[in-house]
Amino acid sequence: MRHSTQLRIGPVGFRVGSDWRAPVALLDDLYRDYPPPQDDIPDFNVRLFAARFWRRWLRPSVQIGGDFVIPDAAPLPLAQGLLAAEMAMNLQMALGQRRYLLLHASAVERDGKALLMTGESGAGKSTLAALLMTRGWRLLGDEFVLLDPAAGMVHGFPRLISLKNEAIGVIEREAKGGRWGPLLEGTPKGAIRHLVPDVRSIAAMEQPATPALVLFPSFGFEGAEREVFPSECFVRLTQASTNYVTLGEAGFDALTGLVRGLPARAIDYPDTKTAIATVERLWGELA
Amino acid sequence: MTRYRAAPAATLRIVLLDVLTLVYHRASGITHVVDSPVPEMIEVLGGVPLTLDETLAALAAVHDLIDPDRNALAARLDELVAAGLVEAV
Amino acid sequence: MADENPQDSAPSAGEPRPSRRALMLGAASASAIVSIKPALAQTAGSVLNCEIPVPDPGRAGSYIDANGKVVPPGTKGAFPPAVRPFRGEDVKKAMNGGNLPGTSYDQSRAYTNYIRRLQRGTSGFTCFASLQMPRG
Repeated sequence: MRHSTQLRIGPVGFRVGSDWRAPVALLDDLYRDYPPPQDDIPDFNVRLFAARFWRRWLRPSVQIGGDFVIPDAAPLPLAQGLLAAEMAMNLQMALGQRRYLLLHASAVERDGKALLMTGESGAGKSTLAALLMTRGWRLLGDEFVLLDPAAGMVHGFPRLISLKNEAIGVIEREAKGGRWGPLLEGTPKGAIRHLVPDVRSIAAMEQPATPALVLFPSFGFEGAEREVFPSECFVRLTQASTNYVTLGEAGFDALTGLVRGLPARAIDYPDTKTAIATVERLWGELA
Repeated sequence: MTRYRAAPAATLRIVLLDVLTLVYHRASGITHVVDSPVPEMIEVLGGVPLTLDETLAALAAVHDLIDPDRNALAARLDELVAAGLVEAV
Repeated sequence: MADENPQDSAPSAGEPRPSRRALMLGAASASAIVSIKPALAQTAGSVLNCEIPVPDPGRAGSYIDANGKVVPPGTKGAFPPAVRPFRGEDVKKAMNGGNLPGTSYDQSRAYTNYIRRLQRGTSGFTCFASLQMPRG
């Protein structure tokens, strides 16, 4: 591994090693305002490597390795090396995180309180989080929310915001002065472009927040909303967690503690303008 | 004659949420989301092992059983045994 | 930690508890228990055995053009539907440069393009997504 870098996202430190310089250079640039791992000791190691030695040069393709791997993961072309690095860090969290209950959700913060948004891929949670960030909310994260079983607070994981396909254009227009990674086309999920969280969100990344509202958004439908009861909220959140089961009783306690008393709504929205208005209204009513 | 008994109380963590109840089974680490009459059945089966008919009678004694159907109760018991929350002895 | 009596935890703590609550056993065919299964373990276990039909059953009979788009049957230059669904394992090999079993080079490329374009809700999407990174 000739090239490497270290960075911290929220409470989690990573060391990334790579057979190629380009992905590491991109990480250094886009994550330049982020701190190093606590005490310079990373929590997870990530490796971007060439499966066969000739793959460093001939149609170079990046295999993902690290402390935690899944077998037979498909490699990515070197042009998508940044995506490989992001996916690899994701994978360490998804498979190896034990300290916090991981929720596959985006989250933003205002006045010390957190708004969580969760749902299937394509539901719009990353896009909504990015939009709210441009409207003065602090970004906690676009992919993972870390729930501390001990105190019930949520901790941010403000990695680069991953925007896909049509959402890229939408956010490019809204995020004035935003710092962007390269446009990556032809990825398994279509076109992807990464947006660096704003300076304020990065600076505040160590501050947890109290969960105050959870939304289950669905994009592409006429505006509608319904209450979601704690039991449904609980089941949906277990489906959105990769480590609920491994955390055992601590996970059970953390999640039951979260859903009791936490207002929850499922919202359908036809466009982002409606979504933002709905979010602001519900926050005012319920948070 | 098959008798049924619930997993020991110390291994069950039961949280009533709203219409549904959550049961964390410490011995297996599995979380079950359950509907009535499961919590009530776990309660009556928390003492001495009971047969199917004794379970039905015990439930009827404490609750107002709207549909005291043996087959339905048998189905519930099978579900509970499959989930590991009740043991057939 | 002692288990909580469900009746004691009822939200309306202020009211006197009714001595006999109505209880339904439910239909014999119904289910009263859902067990939480680890999402990721399911994904990892099923990755190689899941299936992707081309195209999805909702558009059975339609053809697939070279770019992977679903087009009316008989469209010139497009390929007929796959005879049977492809296994995740075969799709993975095809993504890495092989051919889908029983297909020519061009046909395989058309099918794999279709698979890459799969949207949420279309049959086979979950299988394809699980071939990439786990989404948690």
